[in-house]
Amino acid sequence: MLVLTGLLVAAIAPVGLAGSAAAAPSRLPGTVEVTLDQSQIETVVGQVLTVESRIVNSGQAPTDRLVAHVNVVSLNGVYVDLEDWSAEVTQAASPLAPGNSRTLSWKLHAVNAGSFDVYVVVLPAGSASAGATPLVVSPPVHVTVAGRRTLTAAGSLPVAIIMPTLLGLLAATGRYRLRRRG
Amino acid sequence: MAGVSLEVVRLTKRYGPRTAVEELSFTAHRGEVVGLLGANGAGKTTTIRLLTTVLQPTSGAFSVAGVPFTRPAEIRRRVGVLPESAGYPGHQSGSDYLRYHARLFGLGRPEAARVAGRLLADVGLEERASSRISTYSRGMRQRLGIARALVNAPPVVFLDEPTLGLDPAGQRQVLGIVRDIAVRRGTTVILSTHALPDVEEVCTRVLILDKGRVLISGTVGEVTATVAAQRYGQLRVPIELVSPARRALAGVAGLTVEAPDERPDVLRISLPAGVGGEQDHPERGMNLALRAVLNADVPVLSFEVEGARLSDAFLTMTGDGVR
Amino acid sequence: MTVNVSERPRAVHGGERPVRSRDPGWRIVAEQECRDLWVSGRGPVLVFAFSVLLSVMTYLAGTNQVLNFLEQREAVNLTLQVAVAVGVLVTLVVSADAISGERERGTLESLLLTPVSRRAIVMGKLVAALSLWLATFLVSVPYVWVLGRGVSIVGPAILLGLLVGTLLAVALSALGLLISALSSSNKVSLAVCFFLLLALFAPTQLPGGGPKGWFGDMLVRLNPVGAALRYLTAVVVNGHDWTRDLSYLVSPLVTAVLAGGALVIAGSRIVRLHGGVSGE
Repeated sequence: MLVLTGLLVAAIAPVGLAGSAAAAPSRLPGTVEVTLDQSQIETVVGQVLTVESRIVNSGQAPTDRLVAHVNVVSLNGVYVDLEDWSAEVTQAASPLAPGNSRTLSWKLHAVNAGSFDVYVVVLPAGSASAGATPLVVSPPVHVTVAGRRTLTAAGSLPVAIIMPTLLGLLAATGRYRLRRRG
Repeated sequence: MAGVSLEVVRLTKRYGPRTAVEELSFTAHRGEVVGLLGANGAGKTTTIRLLTTVLQPTSGAFSVAGVPFTRPAEIRRRVGVLPESAGYPGHQSGSDYLRYHARLFGLGRPEAARVAGRLLADVGLEERASSRISTYSRGMRQRLGIARALVNAPPVVFLDEPTLGLDPAGQRQVLGIVRDIAVRRGTTVILSTHALPDVEEVCTRVLILDKGRVLISGTVGEVTATVAAQRYGQLRVPIELVSPARRALAGVAGLTVEAPDERPDVLRISLPAGVGGEQDHPERGMNLALRAVLNADVPVLSFEVEGARLSDAFLTMTGDGVR
Repeated sequence: MTVNVSERPRAVHGGERPVRSRDPGWRIVAEQECRDLWVSGRGPVLVFAFSVLLSVMTYLAGTNQVLNFLEQREAVNLTLQVAVAVGVLVTLVVSADAISGERERGTLESLLLTPVSRRAIVMGKLVAALSLWLATFLVSVPYVWVLGRGVSIVGPAILLGLLVGTLLAVALSALGLLISALSSSNKVSLAVCFFLLLALFAPTQLPGGGPKGWFGDMLVRLNPVGAALRYLTAVVVNGHDWTRDLSYLVSPLVTAVLAGGALVIAGSRIVRLHGGVSGE
């Protein structure tokens, strides 16, 4: 009797468990998850940040070719041109077997000062996912970029004065010597 | 006889249908000063440019100091040239200019400086060595050009119109240098010039060119004798004694006497060969004319012979179609 | 005045030989041409005028209160482009005068009468012309440093500016020398070179960068100046890796190789006493 009950539970339980996973996202065959290695970054304008995203195939079937895309969103209304932040905003990854993962590295140039969220979006079934499979989005990395004015009038004045003065003196000395030679 | 330093065999240069130099052949020996004469466009400068490898010949051959024309860089090492229309970089000093060219001829820096200093002293530019060439007079530039032509101590030097544009003193200086080059260094000088008195003064041999061909060549005496130009004498006597002088000259057979209107005290006497029974010796006829005037107690204030000069031979050869 | 041409103490043929220089002919020509440019010529005045221009540009950038990170990179890019433009311009002008100018001044014949080959003469003049580009570039380095030090671009900007500018300078200098050798007069040579410069630089100043699409891109890539400046912009302003847009450097490289090669191969034939196609 006990053996029969145990067998029945073993047969029903996976279905029940699968049901509860769908409520809080369910795991489908070929499901991917993406996470970023950091949650907060503080930097200064002009610096290069590297963010690593880890894509995991947590499903039971291999995925198709994956396409990942990074986005930068301004939280305080600063205009963001993604091309200025990164030359490579889209990366492809080969299909992942179940349980495998891949890490993609994203180099970002902090070209604007302000408060931003950076996140990665993955299309889990590649181009075949259009209109079918929901996108997989990573948690955002909150990036705070402090402004820095590196070029000032005072900073540029020495060079702006010294160079022409030196070269002018050289030129004048040369002309004077030539005239003296006659 | 001194060694052959320049040998030219049937050198020809054509520009399409136009022939600048045609079948030119001559030889020059060590220490000779050879004058290249000819009217404008006769081919003198082209000849010099061919022999100094600036231009390529259409046909023919030549050798300079034993180096055949097929080795132009070697020939350039052995010649010095003063081009006709030589320009000079005005911003360089005379010393800088010579040092530069000495280095181009392969001398090291110290040697180039030494040679430049010596040559500038030789041509009388020592005191202006550091001055810019733009401050040099024409004569100074010509002397600088001659110094440049000597920077590599060449066995053959080509001078194209070296006295052009110079005053008589400058011409004398340059001719002095030319004579020195030939006599003291044993250098062969090829001198292209319009100044016929210069040629008579320094050249040992003469080539007269016309339309790219050699009309005649030889020593100055040979050329003037060969052409046998009509001789004239110009005799100046006191104006009040012109008539007695004419009467005295009338007694010498074969003479023709004229009195130019513009110079009433001058009697122009034409001297054909054979006067006084002396064949081919016009100067004997001139002697008879002088003796006749002197015997008539007419003082001779001046006496000049025309037609015995290279300029007369030149004009005869190139002017009236005699070939 | 009595002048004497003294006997040379050491005879060329036989006896003690004079000390020969090991310097190749092109180097002697290059040295003298550089002296003519930099000691007794206009070289120092040119770089002084250029430094005044850069000083004004740099100071204006420094006083601009709203200059942001990208605009600072654009300022660096602009400085490099001005350095390349001015450097290439003066190099081309000097090259355009190199043969035809000597011809008209009457100094070419004396040069042709030396044992130095015509090819070596041309190479020496090329090297001297390139010294103007190098001087212009060196003058721009402090300005690039001041403008770029806050935006992490100084090193790459200087290196790539040197590479790109040198390629262009070699290409255009060689072209200038070819034009100078073949021109019938110095005026013709300078006019043709100025027109060439205009034809190469004008398309780079078109609003919006010129025609778009594959055709526009092809036009940019074919123009060595346009392609080189596009490459600089991609690296300095857009932050591309230096290897990513290397294909833009193909036309400057090909132009430099072809023009330089033509100069080396044909130099001895085209450097003649008289200019023009049929001259000799």
